[in-house]
Amino acid sequence: MIEKRTILVRYDEIGLKGGNRKYFTKILLKNIKRALPGDRGIEYRVPRGRILIDLPKSIADEIGDQLKMIPGIASYSIGISVNPDFDEIAGLGVKLIEPLLKSKGKLKFCVRTRRSAKTFPKTSPEVNFEVGSRIMSQLQEKGLVVDIKGAEVTFEIEIGTTDTIIFDNRHSGLSGLPVGSAGNILCMMSGGIDSPVAAHLMACRGCRVHFVFFDNQPFLGRGGYEKVLKLSKIINRYQGRANLFVIPFQDIQVAIRDHCREENRVVLYRRMMYRIADSIAKQYEMPGLVTGESLGQVASQTLENLAAVTCVTSINVFRPLIGMNKEGIIKRAREIGTYEVSIEPQPDCCAVFMPSSPVTRGKISILENDEEKFMWKELQEEALANMETIKVDYL
Amino acid sequence: MIYLDNAATTSMDPEIITSLQDYMRVQFANSGTVYGIGIDAKKKIEEAKENITFALGIPSSHNLVFTSCGTESNNLFIKGLCFPDKKTAYLGLEHPSITETLLSFKNFDNAPFSLLEFNRQGRLDLSCLPLLKEKKIRLLCLSHVNNELGTINDPVPLIDAMKKESPKTRLFLDGIQAIGKIKLNKCMWSGLAGYSLSAHKFHGPKGIGLLVYDSNLNLAPQLHGGKQQFGVRAGTLPVPLIMAFAQAIELAIARQQKTQEHFKILQEHLIGGLNKLEIPILYNSSYGEFQSPAIVNFSFPPVEAEVMVHHLEEKEIFAGMGSACSAHSKEPSKILMGMGLTKEQARCSLRVSFSQTNTIKEIEKFIHAFAEAYQTLLPTFKDRAVGR
Repeated sequence: MIEKRTILVRYDEIGLKGGNRKYFTKILLKNIKRALPGDRGIEYRVPRGRILIDLPKSIADEIGDQLKMIPGIASYSIGISVNPDFDEIAGLGVKLIEPLLKSKGKLKFCVRTRRSAKTFPKTSPEVNFEVGSRIMSQLQEKGLVVDIKGAEVTFEIEIGTTDTIIFDNRHSGLSGLPVGSAGNILCMMSGGIDSPVAAHLMACRGCRVHFVFFDNQPFLGRGGYEKVLKLSKIINRYQGRANLFVIPFQDIQVAIRDHCREENRVVLYRRMMYRIADSIAKQYEMPGLVTGESLGQVASQTLENLAAVTCVTSINVFRPLIGMNKEGIIKRAREIGTYEVSIEPQPDCCAVFMPSSPVTRGKISILENDEEKFMWKELQEEALANMETIKVDYL
Repeated sequence: MIYLDNAATTSMDPEIITSLQDYMRVQFANSGTVYGIGIDAKKKIEEAKENITFALGIPSSHNLVFTSCGTESNNLFIKGLCFPDKKTAYLGLEHPSITETLLSFKNFDNAPFSLLEFNRQGRLDLSCLPLLKEKKIRLLCLSHVNNELGTINDPVPLIDAMKKESPKTRLFLDGIQAIGKIKLNKCMWSGLAGYSLSAHKFHGPKGIGLLVYDSNLNLAPQLHGGKQQFGVRAGTLPVPLIMAFAQAIELAIARQQKTQEHFKILQEHLIGGLNKLEIPILYNSSYGEFQSPAIVNFSFPPVEAEVMVHHLEEKEIFAGMGSACSAHSKEPSKILMGMGLTKEQARCSLRVSFSQTNTIKEIEKFIHAFAEAYQTLLPTFKDRAVGR
């Protein structure tokens, strides 16, 4: 017979959602089912809103690692079915805790019992005491201490109507809200370090993040396109599928370069990007844009220049990195696995399209005056008409 | 598609693809085993070596060691012979697999001696040779044909002069851009300590290189393991790749004269065509006896080569950059800078390199596309310093 394990999934803020809790749990369960393989003997149970996953022991750790990538999961524990016998349960507890003691020397722990089978002859606190005292009798001398509030290790026991399960220590998840619970959003991706981090943060707030990339292949080659595709695939590890919209941007850049004030170029490029992103978002009913902008990081990200780009769109613009420094952003990029791709060498357009000293406090009236000098509406429509839409899977 | 970056790599000869598939199917055995099929595989390697030796006119005084690529051959010979304290010299315009290998000795207080002041259009001026004796240089490393410029260091006069002026200095040549593209003088072998080759530069497969070296020399192995290949390079031998290497070299040598003549026609056509354009062009490669006709390198400031490459790419024309420039490494080509080009000139350089399958019509299409892209791009780059 195949040895089984049961994973208990704890969710994060869904618990706070009151009447909507069912809705959030349903989405989370759907996301979990989609992320995990469908053919390896995995079964799901949702007794009174708790998500339990029954699966073969051999794949438990592997599946646990996959749960760490799903937004909305606060933590999970892998559990073993046992006989409701205190000696047996305590014996397993010693087995679990002893190795941790060896590496730490001293360890604070507690036992927590949840008893849904009210026919069980002992109450939860009584079970805590029975099991806890048995474990202490064996491990107290080795440095084990009971500490209910400050426990480093929690030994959890679930006494159900059909079985009794004990769980190992909690493994942390991504927390946040399940992808899809907040709706769709469009992220402007450049291929750099920041935008994937911004996308990931929004995915962890329940958004399904789609991507738009402004491409300039005739000048810069296909490198940027491939890079953004790869980054989108990495973000999709956390959220499943999403769309990548690729906009040919070279004609707009050439027109701005040829007709507008040199120092305004960057802000003008960005105003066009925002307008196009706005159109795509409206077309696909996405009520928000997300960017990797961080205040003051580069000339185009000053308060004035951010205002100068935001005013061309009527959609909410989210900038989750606005108050972060570069170091913090890099740390997050490393954690989510996009950093190594983001720093791959990619030709940039500096020498071709960048002004030697870009404006840091763009005035909207002057920018609008520049925009009268080229046919931006026609160019915007042409770019949208030539947009490529890619359904991106995950890496 | 018009492929004009044959110094980077060549497409595989269809005949070799077919043979290689057969070799892979049949010759799968480990040539180090003692049973029949292993012995057969070993025999195939011996046969391949004989064919290579014959095609290149390598004397019995030299050993052949197969490697994974040209870079490995260069590393193996230089490190195997000179690491860590033997004195080395170079012109300074070689491929990074030579320059970086030599420069890695810096950590052992043994930086290579640069002869860049004796650079004459990418070639070594022989008047430097007494200096090698004075500096007690054990190994001089040079490109036979320069990978970016195509300029040739003629080995035979160099060897003769070295014998007189600095008899204790040995010569190592990087032959990776030479095989199949220029005529080899078989007299060179007796004066060569080492010579490196790579199959993918002459329509063979990637993943197989060769080092030819004087068997009197003791090379320290860089990969330790089994006793394959005189104990110099451990590792199971890729029999099918070795057979394909031999086949590619035989084909390359057999058609070398015809290829070279064809290259000369393409070279003349390209230079003639570029000269007719009203574009100020600066040639970094030379012309004539000491220039490989397979490579034409030229600059066209102020238009940046990287952007030119992408504009040509749009028309399915693929040419190489004279400089490796990327967002991360904004440094222009060390070779072109070593030749005395400005940063801007180096960034605005293209390397066109031919194969025997390129046609005059393709060159004409290239010239047309180049001129068109240049005119499109000129307004972008005009009046601005690319090299800032």
